[in-house]
Amino acid sequence: MIKISGLTKSYGTNTSEVRAVDDAYLDVKQGEFILILGRSGSGKSTFLGMLAGLIRPTKGVVRFGGVDISNLSEDKIADLRAKKIGFVFQFSGLIPTITALENVMLPTLFCRDGPGCRSRAVDLLKKVGMSDRAEAYPRTLSSGEMKRVAIARALINEPPLLIADEPTGDLDVDTEYEIMELFRQLNREGTTIVMVTHNPDLVPYATRTYGMNRGKLAEHTGSGAFRTGMKGQTVHQESMDLP
Amino acid sequence: MNNRMDYLTFIIAGIRNKPGRNLATIFCFSFIAVNIFSGQFLLAGAEGGVDRGISRMGADQVVVPAQYTVFLQGSGPDNTMAIIKVEPSAYRINTTVMETIGKVGGIAQMSPQLYITSLNSPKLSSARVDIFGIDPETDFTIRPWLQHPLDHPIKPGEIIIGHEINGDLLSQISVSGHAYTIAGRLDPTQSSADNTIFLRMDDAYTLAAVDGIVPASAPRISPGDVNAILIRDLQEENSDSVTAHIRRELLSAYPSRYISVIGRHFTLDPVSQNVQGIPNLLNIISAFVVIAALPLIALIAAMVTHERQREIGLLMSMGAKRNVIFFLVIAESMVLAVVGGIAGVGAGLVAFTVLNTHGFLNSALQVTFAMPTPAETSLMAGLVLLVVISIGSISSLWPAYQSSMMNPYDAIQREGQ
Repeated sequence: MIKISGLTKSYGTNTSEVRAVDDAYLDVKQGEFILILGRSGSGKSTFLGMLAGLIRPTKGVVRFGGVDISNLSEDKIADLRAKKIGFVFQFSGLIPTITALENVMLPTLFCRDGPGCRSRAVDLLKKVGMSDRAEAYPRTLSSGEMKRVAIARALINEPPLLIADEPTGDLDVDTEYEIMELFRQLNREGTTIVMVTHNPDLVPYATRTYGMNRGKLAEHTGSGAFRTGMKGQTVHQESMDLP
Repeated sequence: MNNRMDYLTFIIAGIRNKPGRNLATIFCFSFIAVNIFSGQFLLAGAEGGVDRGISRMGADQVVVPAQYTVFLQGSGPDNTMAIIKVEPSAYRINTTVMETIGKVGGIAQMSPQLYITSLNSPKLSSARVDIFGIDPETDFTIRPWLQHPLDHPIKPGEIIIGHEINGDLLSQISVSGHAYTIAGRLDPTQSSADNTIFLRMDDAYTLAAVDGIVPASAPRISPGDVNAILIRDLQEENSDSVTAHIRRELLSAYPSRYISVIGRHFTLDPVSQNVQGIPNLLNIISAFVVIAALPLIALIAAMVTHERQREIGLLMSMGAKRNVIFFLVIAESMVLAVVGGIAGVGAGLVAFTVLNTHGFLNSALQVTFAMPTPAETSLMAGLVLLVVISIGSISSLWPAYQSSMMNPYDAIQREGQ
């Protein structure tokens, strides 16, 4: 579904270059739940940004369904995001001026709106347990409720891929559990999920786990070891400096 | 709520979120609208007043038989009366004279008048009533004095009556067994026109053919006979010069003692020049207001988009293209401009209606203010709205461009909200 190779994002000049993501490799298959663990500043959000086409990579290729999105025009990437990718952010990401239901319906403006839009949004709110708060404005919702609405919004266009950037970062333990169970359910229903988090307790939810440190992405092989990308070198968790 | 999400819902929701600031923006647009609308409205009203005044000033020249000894009321060098009707006379000329006059350059309009008779009819008026024939197709001296403009020239059997003649509009009056319908009434002219009934020329000839209508001492009236040809010059022409040309043309075609030309002895220029100065001043004021408001509105638009960077980034992450973001920013400004524009035009219209009702506009402008017609007002309002919407669009062009070119990832990371 997604094939990432040699993905690099660097900032600054040649003399003082900072590599936010450094030569990352990743294959994501349909129906997987990929978890990327890393501390703040490790480059995981930049990595997700490039995966979603929000950030242009300095080097490397992101293939989505066989298409290299790194070189697509802005409009084509926008189309791809509208149809193929749902995004859930750490912050609620809800538009404060419209209701929960309208927030869920909002992405249809950029993809496919129509008579079924409202009923689909209502169904999604029901699915995430928010049907009774459909007409509520975001300011009246709790963090967990906002997150549920944001997940419903990410799914409104029925994207095959859901990208989540620290979706439980600001939630208490109970709400985090509820949200993760929701992700697990979505994944079981066929949605591919790529999530970044700093919380190692979430590893059991994933089908595969990666670690990210100083821009380097490495797959978790179990027993505290990580294998970095294509080269297949195995390193210990301590040397990855993960949480 | 609709079954589908639409841009307008999103835009209006965004506007409602910041009522204070958006009301201030709407007020800015209203201020621009009321300023431009006021200028145009005042100008149109003043020009309308002057135009009506000029149109009521009657003829610049009157061509009459040389024997016409009973001259126009107040004629001579001190005459300041409008020539809207000639005085009763039994001396006539033929309408073929108009062909000769038509050869003279500088003439805008000419129309004949025919005196038929005068009646003593207390039922119609306490004073003697003159009956005149006019050509409703070419008439330019009587029609401007109508209390209510007619949407068509009078038809056969219809008449226009002077202000002092008794009778209601659309009612009938009878003259020597002929019934006529009152199609219009004149405003007071302070002249003999106030006690005159104006018929169509063909009706006048029919009436004149009735025995006893034309006094036995006067020659009979034949079709083609008229008492005078009233002439209006082109606006830019010198009236004295045109009079001289007419005189010369008539002398070459007719015996010298057959026809006379009487010219008007006053000018309208000073009034026209006063009014001509108004538009420049109003346009300067409007331009100043627009120039002052444009950066202010642009600044507000820039502030709004700056605050909503994260929202814009989120929309992009959902798949909004750059042109959609550009459109959303411009559209929000346009909605504010439309609301402000309508409010401004509405406020201006109400204010002018009230001021005009109390006569303040006449004294302020020192000309008779004529309220523009609904069609003129609608056109002005439409143009003002167009200007205000353009200002709204132009002022938000740069913020819209900046928003659309924003990097979505950077925008999402910003804590703008």
